[in-house]
Amino acid sequence: MRRRPGIGGLQTAAAARDQYRVLGGNVAKLRTDLMKEQLTTFRSQLEEFARKHKNDIRKNPSFRSQFHEMCAKVGVDPLASNKGFWAELLGIGDFYYELGVQIVEICLATRLLNGGLIDLQELCKLLRQKRKHDREAVSEDDCLRAISKLKTLGSGFEVISAGKKKLVRSVPTELNKDHNEILELAQSQGYVTVDEVERRLNWTYGRAIDALDTLLDEGLAMIDDGHRDGNRRYWFPCVSSISSFVADS
Amino acid sequence: MQKLGDFKLPHFFNYPPYFTLQPVKETREKQIQLWKELILDYCRTQKIFVIKLEEEFPLFSNSVIERTLSHEAREAFLSALVAEGRSEWLDKGRRSCLILWHRIQDWADIIVNFVKDNGFEDSVMTVEEIRSGIESRGTELHGIDRTILMRALKLLEQKGKLAIFKGTSTDDEGIKFSV
Repeated sequence: MRRRPGIGGLQTAAAARDQYRVLGGNVAKLRTDLMKEQLTTFRSQLEEFARKHKNDIRKNPSFRSQFHEMCAKVGVDPLASNKGFWAELLGIGDFYYELGVQIVEICLATRLLNGGLIDLQELCKLLRQKRKHDREAVSEDDCLRAISKLKTLGSGFEVISAGKKKLVRSVPTELNKDHNEILELAQSQGYVTVDEVERRLNWTYGRAIDALDTLLDEGLAMIDDGHRDGNRRYWFPCVSSISSFVADS
Repeated sequence: MQKLGDFKLPHFFNYPPYFTLQPVKETREKQIQLWKELILDYCRTQKIFVIKLEEEFPLFSNSVIERTLSHEAREAFLSALVAEGRSEWLDKGRRSCLILWHRIQDWADIIVNFVKDNGFEDSVMTVEEIRSGIESRGTELHGIDRTILMRALKLLEQKGKLAIFKGTSTDDEGIKFSV
């Protein structure tokens, strides 16, 4: 628009701006309405879907995990509250709370043996033993979800990765990178020696012994002086599934 | 699962570090707890009353994982049982240990029940008869260690439930019940 001088020109310009604004607002509103409508449709579809496949969601772990993924994409958290529509419809809130409680129980019962660090697979195994009535129905994904809900309690439940394994930590121990690397190294045999740590990780003796001593003090490692080669071995119950037997007793 | 005869061994028996006395206090306490339970369980099911530290004992080594308990570890586990009243050293040098999977008091109760069940309330029996006689067959008293039996009998004597007297013709001691 060509700029015209004078009061009239300014007024015309202001009026035009206003009109543009109104028009822009209308377009935006139209878009949001459309989006809202789409989202509502999607939600109702999702609800419809959930209602229809209620049993599958409850009983089939992989179905459940896919459903969770779908929910996450539209910003619905079925676990956010136990009172919401989702919880009422599916009762899955209770399912995860129950899992959470059982996970805490297992972690406490095995803590003395593994120092509060347990292999996720091992945890799942114990969880299934504990819930004998529906043995198949708990997946690792479910465990992880339940654990993530435990975080709200601020009690330091955390999942850490060491190599291929996922470990669940139930004590407030801070594991640094060195500790993590040792745990990773221990996975192949269940134990490490000082010599191995020095050689494989390219560490000095001091660094190796320091990290191993900390792991011992935290109850995460046990020494073994009984091998005939005379070399001390450091075993890690959290990577060798030794915890199983406490579940029986 | 590994077995010793008909005895089912716990998982930890196959985990090598459990054969080395652990340096960290909490870990060692748990380790000792597990060994205590295992020793008591094993002795109860196999009817073993005395463990000699320097001799071979099935629980002291595991050939599958090639581990053997050190003398220090053996003594630590048994000392823990002694501290709980579940065993007693038989000598000052701590070379042999009496295992009490029933405490002396419990053994005394078992004797009293045995007497009542068989109507021996006012009878006379010899110590040997209690240990290997026909009446005790199939009860826990059958084959009981003589030291433990005598200790339980003496306890009952103190309570006035029986009298122990030296037999005239045999070496064996006689028991006069008055339950």
